[in-house]
Amino acid sequence: MKSDSEEQKKSDDNLQRIIKELSDYKYAIDESSIVAITDQKGIIKHANDNFCKISKYSREELIGQDHRIINSGFHPKEFIRDIWTTIANGKIWKGELKNKAKDGTIYWVDTTIVPFLNEDGKPYQYVAIRADITERKRVEENLEKSLKEVLDYKYALDESSIVAITDQKGIIKYVNDNFCKISKYTREELIGQDHRIVNSAYHPKEFIRELWTTIANGKIWRGDIKNKTKDGTTYWVETTIVPFLNEHGKPYQYVAIRADITQRKLTEEQLSRNIKELERSNKELEQFAYIASHDLQEPLRMVGSYMQLLERRYKGKLDKDADDFIHFAMDGATRMKQLIGDLLNYSRMNKEGLIEPVNMNEVMHEVMQNLSASTKESGASVHFSDLPVIEADRTQMVQLLQNLISNAIKFRKEEIPSLINIKTEKQESKWLFSVSDNGIGIEGQYSEKVFIIFKQLHTKAKYSGTGIGLAIAKKITERHGGTIWFESEFGKGTTFFFTLNAKTTLPLNINS
Amino acid sequence: MIRPAEILLVEDSPGDIRLTMEALKGSRITNNLHIVTDGVEAIDFLMKREKYVDAPTPDLILLDLNLPKKSGFEVLSEIKESIQLRVIPVVVLTTSQSERDILLSYEMHVNCFVSKPVEFDAFFNVIRTIEDFWFTIVKLPKQ
Repeated sequence: MKSDSEEQKKSDDNLQRIIKELSDYKYAIDESSIVAITDQKGIIKHANDNFCKISKYSREELIGQDHRIINSGFHPKEFIRDIWTTIANGKIWKGELKNKAKDGTIYWVDTTIVPFLNEDGKPYQYVAIRADITERKRVEENLEKSLKEVLDYKYALDESSIVAITDQKGIIKYVNDNFCKISKYTREELIGQDHRIVNSAYHPKEFIRELWTTIANGKIWRGDIKNKTKDGTTYWVETTIVPFLNEHGKPYQYVAIRADITQRKLTEEQLSRNIKELERSNKELEQFAYIASHDLQEPLRMVGSYMQLLERRYKGKLDKDADDFIHFAMDGATRMKQLIGDLLNYSRMNKEGLIEPVNMNEVMHEVMQNLSASTKESGASVHFSDLPVIEADRTQMVQLLQNLISNAIKFRKEEIPSLINIKTEKQESKWLFSVSDNGIGIEGQYSEKVFIIFKQLHTKAKYSGTGIGLAIAKKITERHGGTIWFESEFGKGTTFFFTLNAKTTLPLNINS
Repeated sequence: MIRPAEILLVEDSPGDIRLTMEALKGSRITNNLHIVTDGVEAIDFLMKREKYVDAPTPDLILLDLNLPKKSGFEVLSEIKESIQLRVIPVVVLTTSQSERDILLSYEMHVNCFVSKPVEFDAFFNVIRTIEDFWFTIVKLPKQ
């Protein structure tokens, strides 16, 4: 008997111990996990505190509800069906689920569902033990997004650019398709090679040394490089080399990103050749104009002199026709002399050039003196005051203003006295001058023509001159870093504007 | 009796030669104009060589700078280096207006540098004035 009661007690103790152990387990699981128990139909029979907390439902709201109350709708139907098939067949299901809390917020749980079977081997309840992995999922999602972004960048870069990565010694570690395409090497031929394999030897040593010094010091280098392909042809690349530094601040690799600018370089080269050619032919033309006009003077002097000798000796001694003929021949010679003189002047524009501070008031006084005969004869009045001192070629300044003012006097209206105003205005780095008159004006259609050498809008009979005045004015302003233009109302008057650099640096004296 | 003025014109352009002759034609001073058309001939004339053995020593030389064979500068330098010839006044008469030519001429002791005027009347005037100045105003050494 004793043994019976002793055994009974032993077995009670055992039971007590097991219950204690089980309740410890339960306690630990309830503390650590989200636990729910449903019947075989998915109706919630039990939910622990963690389940209530994460789902934001009270226990009362959950018990008796279908477990689908927390479905987020995120998972496809097949996924859900697979869970049910698994557990209905008495197997454990493990996976990550996205659920929805009462307030609509979403949470992720790492889930294990254990089916409990009755004596027929059919599940009569399911225990779901879950862990909150929302934070991990968020980080994962962000990571994935960043990774996708990086991949997108890489894709875009590979599509647009020529990319190579070398180690700190310049050994090629990576090249993209564009690099292979432009260099005409295969990837296998490039990887492991010194990057100098594409050097064209075009750049001086100092240039290459400067590049290496820059990137070896951890700085980004940018520049245009001429490289050589496998077949020996060359190509130009606009290059950015970015050094990547290790924890000691030393570069462990270089990423070179390049764009093919061969076509641009070719165009640039062509352009600079064209410019040189233009400069040369321009210089030649000026030289030609100078020599031609200079040498033309000699024979012209002969024609003129002998015509005059003819006139002096034989005027009135031959007949009326002879006198007329001599007159026309002499008139032609005189005009030609004027033209040659002007041409010589024009071609000399580039030759002289002492740049000094020039008081434009003094310049105007000199101009007025030079034009005193024509201002007196025409009754023109010229107004100016407080003109600036500028850095310029004095002789050319006199000529510039004199040409504009004498034009204004020449093209005056007959019925009213000529009124000419000279004004200045300081702009940023330039002086703006204006010379306005109340003369006959210029028709809009001629606005381009007036500055062309020997272009005249009027007949010789009406207005004398060779048509060089404005061409010279244009050349002078351009030599002083400025421009010239005009505004005019036909029949009302004209204002010529020109700008001059406040500080002038003349272009190199190409003829001297 | 006053002997005529002997003038040597060193000039290669026939047009200018004739113009100078025309200008001197109506002059008040009786003159003999001698003409040579290049630098070598000019020196021959002055040295009385070859066909110029009987040539007179000129009282005035009108010298163009742009000459065949021997340039005006070379002629000028030979004249001014010769003890016999350097007393003869030399007038450079040229179309050049270059500052360099002017300075160089005076450095080589030219007596005066005159630019040929483009105008016919002015040219006549210049020739007359030169003649007037050197033969009526200036005292020259007796030969």
